[in-house]
Amino acid sequence: MSGSPNMSAGTEGSAAKGDPLLQIIGLTVEFPQFGAASRPALNNVDFSIARGEVVGLVGESGSGKTTLARSIMQLVPEPGYISGGRVLFEGRDLGTLGPSELRQLRGREISMIISNPRGELDPLQTVGNQIGNVLRAHTPLDGAGIRARALELLRQVSIPAPERRINAYPHELSGGMAQRVVMAIALACSPKLVVSDDATSGLDVTVQAQVLELMRDLVTGFGTSLLFVTRDIGITAHYCDRVAVIYAGEIVEEGPRDAFFENPRHPYSILLLSAFAQNERLRRYWLGDTTAGASRAREQGCPFANRCVRVQDRCRVENPERREFGRGHFAKCHYPVER
Amino acid sequence: MHLLAYIGRRLLFVIPQLLGILFVSFMLVKLIPGDPAVMMLGPFATEDGLAKLRAELGLDRSILEQFGIYVMRVLEGDLGTSWQTTMPVTSDLAQRFPATLELVTLSLALALLIGIPLGVAGAKNNSGILRKIADYYGLMAGSLPDFWFALVLIFVFYTMLGVAPAPLGRLDFVIIPPDPVTGSLLIDSIIAGNWAALRNAAGHLVLPVLTLGIINAGPILKMTQSTTERMLQSDFSRYAEMCGLPRHVVVRNALRNALPSIVTIVSVLYGFLIGGAVLVEIVFSWGGAGQYAVQGVLNSDLNPVLGFVLYSAILSLVIYLIVDLLYFIIDPRTR
Repeated sequence: MSGSPNMSAGTEGSAAKGDPLLQIIGLTVEFPQFGAASRPALNNVDFSIARGEVVGLVGESGSGKTTLARSIMQLVPEPGYISGGRVLFEGRDLGTLGPSELRQLRGREISMIISNPRGELDPLQTVGNQIGNVLRAHTPLDGAGIRARALELLRQVSIPAPERRINAYPHELSGGMAQRVVMAIALACSPKLVVSDDATSGLDVTVQAQVLELMRDLVTGFGTSLLFVTRDIGITAHYCDRVAVIYAGEIVEEGPRDAFFENPRHPYSILLLSAFAQNERLRRYWLGDTTAGASRAREQGCPFANRCVRVQDRCRVENPERREFGRGHFAKCHYPVER
Repeated sequence: MHLLAYIGRRLLFVIPQLLGILFVSFMLVKLIPGDPAVMMLGPFATEDGLAKLRAELGLDRSILEQFGIYVMRVLEGDLGTSWQTTMPVTSDLAQRFPATLELVTLSLALALLIGIPLGVAGAKNNSGILRKIADYYGLMAGSLPDFWFALVLIFVFYTMLGVAPAPLGRLDFVIIPPDPVTGSLLIDSIIAGNWAALRNAAGHLVLPVLTLGIINAGPILKMTQSTTERMLQSDFSRYAEMCGLPRHVVVRNALRNALPSIVTIVSVLYGFLIGGAVLVEIVFSWGGAGQYAVQGVLNSDLNPVLGFVLYSAILSLVIYLIVDLLYFIIDPRTR
């Protein structure tokens, strides 16, 4: 799992570009629960993305990764709401923007690549029309200009025979093709940040690899930042500059790719990594009792305490602070794993 | 090509469908107690006279034979005569069916004009004044009997204000009706250039159309609101919002996706109102098809009833064919 040393140098380079593009400070998102205190889906999350950086956000279902991705666009899934913290994009607090300002931001400066493109594209409109809708909303193009740009975008995402596909309806596309269409829409206005929300999870492995390559090439080609939300930690090893691991609404570890993969500190990170390991004993040790509930035992305490194989008494009563272990490498654990 | 094959297949089934509908209604009408011969000859008829008339009408034969004879006549284009009007049913219906169609079509057009905008407005806003209006409207329209509402309108606009014509049919007696071409007084008046008749017919249409339109906007509003609301919460609308599309574009796309449900409810209402408008027709002495059929049932006048059933069935089949074509146009997945 060791990577080339020049990658970390690249990360330092992008970090030196000054202010981060996106900065999330103490973000807390809650879902009201019937007859109970609301449960935070995101708990005091600090997170940032530099310009041109590709960051992987890894977590299992229900960990809050989609909520985080959508909170960036100020579109928390109903009935959730942002109860604390700020999302700064180029220094602007997105929480203070009005609906029309947000509308101008979405799709133009921050765009989203979704996971179920055939279900999320409008079934009654052609591909060209749906790309056109976005261009019409965010650019001064019209008529022939929109069509030309749509064709250009389809070509950029390597869709064969774009002149034919531009008139296709979503149900006529394969999963991989639909995914490319959604990428074309995401890139239509040359955004500064692209958020990919588990975008490749529904695809065959070979198609997935193609789409990922394409996504990274396009993003790096335009100097766009990419937040790559996924369940598959293996993908982040190949495609990301930096990796963050989210568990039960908290980022438990984050760091530059090489530092993270060479020396993961949080037991949960190791659990995720060991799921891919060949060594049966290693896997059995770190996975522990997988039948244990993912929910935390009580309000205080480490969110991972219930499932952690290294849990101590202290973990159950005190939520660990974020600690730095190396340049840009943070973890939240009382008893971090030493090498 | 696909479409033509589809229409061909549909038309293939029309004949057996119509036969089935006719058979069932024939049997049902025969089940109603009452002897047409007695009704026609009155209380002072002799047994001989009754027997003779029954033989003439074919009532002495078995019910299946009677049905066979009726079907053979229908195939020749003869729907029999109504003993009440002493006219052939075809010519009676040629006059009455368009009267009902004109009324129902205009009413549903009005219902769409009210129901869709209000429904969309209701779906767009989870709260606010428009949502309240939409909610109360749906409640009110669903709970008002149409004939009572018709009487209220007549009382206000004819009796009190005197701005509406008397509820006595489709035209004033002094107006010379245009030559019937389509049967719709509006269209025929335009064809004949008879502007006096056009104005008068339109005036007579106002109150019944208002009645049926306002009442039937209720279900259309409810359907529009609930489906559009569901579409606005669906994945593609959320994605459209993520793309920063303007609100009106998001709503427009949601409405387009809601259209099949709206088309369905309109087609159901249309088929229903052909017979269901009868109470309103009676209130306005409209002389429509529903009124004609009800008179037939009450007086054991079999031919008008069966003629009405046949016409309505054909109309329903045509409507459903049109609905399928509309689905075809709206939704590419059905192509």
